[in-house]
This record gives sequence, structure tokens and C-alpha cells, in this order.
Amino acid sequence: MQTIYRLEWFVGLILLQVLVFNHIHLGEYATPFVYIYYLLALEADTSRVKLLLWGFTLGMCVDIFGNTPGMNASAATMLALARTPLLRSQTMRDSSDNFVPSIRAMGVTPFLRYTLSCAFVHSLTLQLIDAFSLFRLVPLLQRTVGDTLLTVLCMFCLDFIRRKR
Amino acid sequence: MHNLLNFLLKYNYWLLFVVLQVISLTLLFRFNSYQGSVFFSSANYVSGVVYSCAANITGYFGLRSVNRDLVQRNVELEMLVEQMSKRLAHYTADTVDISRLQREVLDEYVIYPATVVNNSITRSENYITLDRGTSDGIRPDMGVICGNGVVGIIYKASAHYSVVLSALNARSNISCKIKRTDYFGSLFWNGGSPKYAFVKDMPRHSAFSLGDTVVTSGHSSVFPEGIPIGVVDDMSDSHDGLSYRLKVKLFTDFARLNDVRVIASSGMEELDRLEESIGMAD
Repeated sequence: MQTIYRLEWFVGLILLQVLVFNHIHLGEYATPFVYIYYLLALEADTSRVKLLLWGFTLGMCVDIFGNTPGMNASAATMLALARTPLLRSQTMRDSSDNFVPSIRAMGVTPFLRYTLSCAFVHSLTLQLIDAFSLFRLVPLLQRTVGDTLLTVLCMFCLDFIRRKR
Repeated sequence: MHNLLNFLLKYNYWLLFVVLQVISLTLLFRFNSYQGSVFFSSANYVSGVVYSCAANITGYFGLRSVNRDLVQRNVELEMLVEQMSKRLAHYTADTVDISRLQREVLDEYVIYPATVVNNSITRSENYITLDRGTSDGIRPDMGVICGNGVVGIIYKASAHYSVVLSALNARSNISCKIKRTDYFGSLFWNGGSPKYAFVKDMPRHSAFSLGDTVVTSGHSSVFPEGIPIGVVDDMSDSHDGLSYRLKVKLFTDFARLNDVRVIASSGMEELDRLEESIGMAD
């Protein structure tokens, strides 16, 4: 049951990303990357190996649809590596061992800091990879900041949706 | 040795991380290049099907504005036809000859309709996916246009889908000329706004003015002569100072592409073979 529920989110987020959010470019800069919510919302004690494999698969699926093989895969793998330390730094040592990161489990501010840092790592990696051939620093940073803010907004929306269910 | 094994076991996720990154970057550098694999792009069957389903739905959203554009274009063309046929009738009495001439002009080109199923405009290398492929007669290096102007060149085709090298791609290079004075240059794009592109190699002595229309030159076999591209919006010197560099406002709205036409010229292979043989002789 848990697996099916998880797969629903996996497929749902990828379709949402490639069909809707990949085509959003607010002011030519900001694109929300909703698919990373899947990584952010895995249980806190998920092993790093598992996180990395999920991250890679997720990124690869988005890449295949977006004609960008390797780009999202690389960025999502980077995020998967960074998630555990980022999550740990936002929660108390003595909080319950296993929880699903959400506003309810963490509180608004820690959750905000957690999603903000994760989204930043992801979009910075993505933009750096994208800019390999076209290095212009200011637009790169503008895009990173735009992507991050919009992604965090989407993370909060998704968190509300998940709580409702 | 024991310590090393312990270390590897404890930090095995780093190893995995490195392996996954290497795979990603290998894919990035191999398949994002010109020789991209059809499998890892949206020309593959599964993503093609998903995208054409989605395009079936989203295609309706833009119908109103697409329709308006078409009507506008239709009216212009009708007026043009009216003027032209009047002039033709005035100049020649031999109508049989003229209608034969018109047929011959159209005979040179075959036009296939296609629908855009995926499109991007924000990367430095943009590609467009179409729902027609080799089984419909599409081959690489055919030109793609829409109602307003030039779109790009077919870059890769699978059985049922094809990928277009958009004019909004740093690698795209389309031969063009000023419609009024016939001076020619080549159209390129270097990122930035999807509404503008540049014409380089415009000779110093060429005559043009801001607001002139830029059309395809017909020098290559890809596009016939006179397909509209855009209007000259601004001009500057090229880096070496030997030629002008024109900023062109494109007619095609790449953010709203839906129905396009693929143009195949029957003389294409012959011309290519001829030019290739010259290249070899050099």
C-alpha cells in the first residue's frame, strides 16, 4: 500500500513537472521544480544510498521528457546527497527518530529553511550545469534565486495538499 | 586494509554519489551534443505519446489567437493574390502558359503539415518535437515554417516523431537576405530574448534601413526564397568591424507554436550532392 502511494506521487510529480511546470518561465527566469518534493518528503531516516538512487531515477525521468539527459539527474543526485545533513541541521537531536518532513512535523520556520536550502542546492547545480556553454554570471544567479523562491512556494502548496489527504 | 574496507563501507554513499554523477555527466556530454540519441530525447516513443496526448489538450487553449493570426494572414494573402493575378492578366494574354508556370513552381516543393508536441525557448539550445516522422516522409535537413515565418530545420527524425533545430538555437544558422535590396547574411541566435535574433556577415556597403523585412535567401536547398523571418530592429558593427550585425524582431512567436509546415524541396538531394563533390575536390 505504502509502495503504491509512493509510486503515485512519483509518477504524478514527474508528469506535473514535464507537462506543466517545465513550461512556466516567470519573467524569463523562474521555473518551479516541483519534482524534488518527492525527495524532500521521504522519511527522515531513509538511507543515503536509497536517497541517491531515488534522486537519480527521478532526475533521469524528467530529463528524458525534457530532452536534457543528465542535467536534472545530476542536480537531483546532488540534492539527494545534501538532503540528510540539511535536514539534520534543521531538527533537534532528540526529536522523534522517524518522521516525514512536513510543516506539521517540523514547524513552519525549520521547514522553510529546510526547503529553501534544498531548493537552492538543486537549482544552483542545475543552472551551473546548464551554463557550461554560456557563462554569464548575473543571469545565472537571477535564475537560481527565481527558481528557488518559486520552488519553495510550490513545496508549501504540495505540503498542504498532502496534509489534506 | 581492514581500515580501508571499513571506511569504504561506512562512506559507501559517497562512492554511489560519484558513480551516479559520472553517469549523469556522461549522458550530458554525449547526448546533449549534436549527435544526440533518439532514445534519450523526446523523439522516443513513450514520451512522444505522452506529449502528443498533452498537446491534443493544450492545443485548444491557443485556438482563438491562432485563428486570429490565420485570418489576418489569409486576408493579406488574398489581397496579394488579387493584385498579382490582376498584374499577370495585364501582362500576358496567354493564360495557359501562366498556369503551367505556377504549377511548375509548386512542383519543386512538397509540404507536410505537422503539429508541435514539445517546445522550449529558454535554453541556449532549443529544440522542438513534431508528431510526424520518417514514415510520413520527413527527413533531416528539411525546413520548418509556420503561418508567420521560419521556425527551424529538421534535425533528427524517428518513425513517428521528429526533432527540429529551432531558429532559437545557438547552433542554428539560416541563410537570409534583406527583401528590398537582396543583400544577404546569415541568421543566428545567441540566447536571450526569444523575440529577437541576429543577422551577421551583412556587407559594409549593403543598403538597408530599420524596419526592412528579412526573408530567407533560397541559397541553400532547405528553404525556398522569400519565406519571411522578421524586421530589422537595430544595427551595430560586427566585432571585426568588417560587416554589420543586425538585430531582427522575429515574426514567429516561438512561445505559441502549434501548427507548422515541413517543406521538402525535390532538388535538395541533387544540390547537396553537387556541393559535397565540390567540398571533396577541395
